[in-house]
Amino acid sequence: MAAKKKNAPAKNMKPFYIALAAVAAIGIAGILYSMNRGGGSMATEPLDMSQIADAESLLDRAQGISAGAENAPVQMIVFSDYQCPGCGHWAGQIEPLLKAEFVETGKVRYTYYDFPLVSIHQHAFLAARAGRCANDQGRFWEFHDRTFLGQAEWSFSGGAPVDQFTRYAGDAGLDVPAFTACLRSDRHAETVTANQLLGETLGVQGTPTVYINQRRLGDREWSDYNAVRAAIQAAGGV
Amino acid sequence: MGVALLALIGVLVSAYMAAYTFGMVGSIVCGTGGCETVQNSPWAVFLGVPVPIIGLVGYGALLAAALLGLQPRFEDDRRVALVLIAGAVIGLVFTGYLTYLEAAVIHAWCRWCIVSAVLATLIFVFTLPELRRLRSQP
Repeated sequence: MAAKKKNAPAKNMKPFYIALAAVAAIGIAGILYSMNRGGGSMATEPLDMSQIADAESLLDRAQGISAGAENAPVQMIVFSDYQCPGCGHWAGQIEPLLKAEFVETGKVRYTYYDFPLVSIHQHAFLAARAGRCANDQGRFWEFHDRTFLGQAEWSFSGGAPVDQFTRYAGDAGLDVPAFTACLRSDRHAETVTANQLLGETLGVQGTPTVYINQRRLGDREWSDYNAVRAAIQAAGGV
Repeated sequence: MGVALLALIGVLVSAYMAAYTFGMVGSIVCGTGGCETVQNSPWAVFLGVPVPIIGLVGYGALLAAALLGLQPRFEDDRRVALVLIAGAVIGLVFTGYLTYLEAAVIHAWCRWCIVSAVLATLIFVFTLPELRRLRSQP
């Protein structure tokens, strides 16, 4: 067989190499094109998920981020928007007390859902995705606290506040390159959109909307820690 | 020649996925929408290395071996045949494992991963004649 090959005329490989080079060139051009439009494809708005008709599919895709014991007697849910001043008050004034008194003591399971009010808060969707990117690294609450603390700083930013969120990621102890890669993509756009649709399905209209064991707190209740405490205790979280 | 062409396509697909993994490409062109789910799942990293990087190295090695095997000097070289066969078998097993994860664990399909699975299968089929070459030589 080897002898036969030696006697055979040398194959003309030139057309093959040309074809190979053409495939490589097309592929590389496609990747470079995708990279150039990379910044523009950063998801800053909800996706069109109108094709998801049934509530069950929606619930599958919506994901809250929880703190506290799974079997806590009281389940608490908040629908929140990073750019909403009321949520800033909730996150800065109420949540720390709530966590210290009830969540960290195993009395309340506290779950956060995104509800970005995109019609009035242009950076809220990106902020929600940023929170999810931090959650990928297990540091959701650190980033959440830092972003709410800096709310006034980035809320009125003309363009997407990527630099501010990146700085907060560093402050929150995140792997910044991994966080930025996540932020500059469309990651978690589906989950944030699903969370928003879940809220709409439940009748959430504003933020923060707080539920304690399925009972929705009124505006005067959630904004006053004593009222929140009383509601938790009434629900069995003594 | 077929293996070289397939491996080159594999290199390009892996490079595209790696660019997404490292944030250089914002969103993947993916008809099913499952690419994001698969790429962001815990199984997108194998032994600490992102799967697209493993693909890049694997397909790159297969491409190099296939091109080497086309050179007259190495046409009858058993070592090249061995590298090709070993690479093709490892690629087939690994892509089989990844496809199993998509189907049974992640429950989402990434079209580019399926392309890679088809490529790995075809590369395996195309390297089968190398076995004969190995057997026919002392």
